[in-house]
Amino acid sequence: MIYPEKIKAKKTDKIISILICFSIVIALILLKINHVTTPRIPWAALANAGILYIWITVIYSIRHNVNIAGHVLLQAIVLSALTIYIDYKIGYRGWSFNIAIPIIIMIANITMLILTIVSHKKYIKYAIYQLIIVLFSMLPVFFMKEHMVKNTIFSVIATSISIVNFIFCLVLCTKDIKEAVIRKFHM
Amino acid sequence: MKSRDELYWRRLDNSAKIFPISTGKKYSTVFRLSAVLKETVEPNLLKEAVKQALEKYKSFRVKMKAGLFWYYLEDNMKEPKIEEETDYPCKYIDRRRNNDYLFKVTYFKNKINIDIFHSLTDGSSGAIFFKEIIYSYLELKYPKELDEDARRIRKIEYNTEDSYIKNYDKKAKSNASSKKAYILRGKKINLGAISCIHEIINLEDLKRECKKNEATITQYLTAVLIYSIYQENYIKYKGKKPVKVCVPVNLKKYFPSDTMSNFFSYITLEAELKKDKLDTFDKILEFVKNDFQKRLTETEIMKTMSANVKIGNNPFIRPIPLFIKKAVVRLSYIEIRKYTTTTFSNIGRIGIIGKYKDYIDYFLMLIAPEPVEKIKCSSCTFEDKLVFSFTSIIQNNRIEKNFYEFLKKKGIKIEIESNGVLDDISGKD
Repeated sequence: MIYPEKIKAKKTDKIISILICFSIVIALILLKINHVTTPRIPWAALANAGILYIWITVIYSIRHNVNIAGHVLLQAIVLSALTIYIDYKIGYRGWSFNIAIPIIIMIANITMLILTIVSHKKYIKYAIYQLIIVLFSMLPVFFMKEHMVKNTIFSVIATSISIVNFIFCLVLCTKDIKEAVIRKFHM
Repeated sequence: MKSRDELYWRRLDNSAKIFPISTGKKYSTVFRLSAVLKETVEPNLLKEAVKQALEKYKSFRVKMKAGLFWYYLEDNMKEPKIEEETDYPCKYIDRRRNNDYLFKVTYFKNKINIDIFHSLTDGSSGAIFFKEIIYSYLELKYPKELDEDARRIRKIEYNTEDSYIKNYDKKAKSNASSKKAYILRGKKINLGAISCIHEIINLEDLKRECKKNEATITQYLTAVLIYSIYQENYIKYKGKKPVKVCVPVNLKKYFPSDTMSNFFSYITLEAELKKDKLDTFDKILEFVKNDFQKRLTETEIMKTMSANVKIGNNPFIRPIPLFIKKAVVRLSYIEIRKYTTTTFSNIGRIGIIGKYKDYIDYFLMLIAPEPVEKIKCSSCTFEDKLVFSFTSIIQNNRIEKNFYEFLKKKGIKIEIESNGVLDDISGKD
C-alpha cells in the first residue's frame, strides 16, 4: 500500500445513483401527499424545486471539483438576507422568517449531507463550512424564541434536518472536523 | 530577515514562462517523484532533510511573483511545509497554502513524494533535488552508517541560467505538425480524482525483449503504449486522427548546461494508425523505431526548441501585459493541447550512490493528466526495477490492463501498485 485509501470511482457513481433514485421517490411521495391533503396549496412543487436545486449544486460540484461548501454557505447567507430585505420592502408579512429562511437552511443542509456522503474521504475540505452552516441553521431557534415566526413548522423541520446533518457528519468524519478546527484556530 | 530590495530574483526560463499563465486546477502542470523506502518515514527528519537540501539548492527556495509582463521568481524566506499525503498526486499546488513554495513534499508510510510545479524545473533537475532530500534524510536517520563527505566530492556546481537562450538557433525553422491528434475518449472520473497505476517491470526481462526487437526501452514501451491505445480506445471509438505521443527530451544530453532550471524539449511521434494500417504490434514498433530515428536528432530537436524560444522572445508578445497573455492563453489552451494524444516521459535511471541504495526499494515518477490528455505516462528506473506509471482521469483501466497483459505475455515479470481509484488490474505477480 503506497497511497492513502481513496473512495473508488465506481462506488461514488453508485452512491450518487442511489441518492438520485431516493430523491425521485421522495419527490413523488410529496406530490401524492400534497394532492391528497392540501391540493389547493402547491407546496410539493416548492419542495421539489428545492430538491432539483440541491442536485444541480451537487452535480456541478462533483463534475468541477470545486469546494462547493463555501459557495453553499455564501448562497445561504446572501439569499436569507435578500429574502428579509424583499419581505420588508413589500410590506412585512413575515414570510421570510416563516418560510423562506427555513427552506434555504434545509436545502443548504441536505446539499452538504449529500456532498459528505459521496466524498467523505475529502471531508476536511468541507468541515469548517459545515460547522458554520450548522451554526447558521440555528437561526430559526432564535426566531422561534423571540416569537418572530407565527408558523413554526418549517423552522422546526429546518432545525431538525440541520441537527441530523450535524450528527451524521460527526459520526462519519469526527477526525476530519477535529483536524479542521485545530488547523483553522491554532494560535 | 532580508529587506525587499535585498531579495534575489530571477526571470523564468523560456519553457517555464507558459506554465503559470496556463495553469489552474484543471491544468496543474505538476509532476511528482516518489521514493519508496524500505521503512516508515519519520516526518521530523524529513522536514530537516528538506531544509538542508534547500540550503544546497537555493534555486528551489523561491516563490512566484507577477510582474507587469511576465511572472518571476523571488527568494522565499518562509519554511517549507511537510505534510502527510492525503490528496491525489500531481494536483495543482495552491501556493498560499504551501508557504509560497512551488514544490510540495509529502509522505505516506514508506514513501516520500515531491510534487513540483513545472515552472520551477524539469524532471531531470527535479530528480537531482529530490535525491538530495533522500540523501539528507537517510544521513539524518543513519548518521553512523552514512556519511555526507563520501558524496560531497561528486557535487557539481549548478546554476539557474536560461540554457534555451544560450543554445537556440535564430535561423532554425519550425517543424511543428499542423495535424490534430486523436483524443482519448471515455467517461471521466468524478470529484477531481486521479487514478495512478504503477507497473513495476523487471528490467532484465524488459532489456531482453528490447534486444530481441532491436529497440531501445523508450521505443519499445512507446510502441506497447500506442498498441494498447489502439486496441482499447482507438478501435472502439473508431478513431481517424493520428495517435500523437509527446516524448520529452532532456536537452542536457545534447547541449552543454549545468542549469537547475528547465532545459527540456520534446519530440512528437505521429502514428497514422488507420491511414498507414498500423494494426499489429510489430508494425507499430517498426513505425516507432523509424519515427524516433527521424525526430530524435540534434537538428530536429534544435528546430523544436528554437521555435519555442522564438515565441517567448517575440517582440510583439513580450510587451503584452500579463493579464492579457493569461486570458488569451487560457482561452486557447484546450485547442493547443489537441495536438497530442498522450505524453510519455522516461527520465531514465535514477542513480543513487553506495550504501544509500540499500534503504530504497524503488522510485516513481508521475505527471498530471489533463482534460484533453486524459492519460499520461512516465517511467523511471532504479536498480533492477523500471516503474511505468499511468495517471488517468478516465473511468476505466483498459489501456493500463492491456499494457500489463501484453508485457506479461512476453514473459516479462511485472507487478502492479495503484491508488485504488479504479479496479485492480491484477494481483501480485
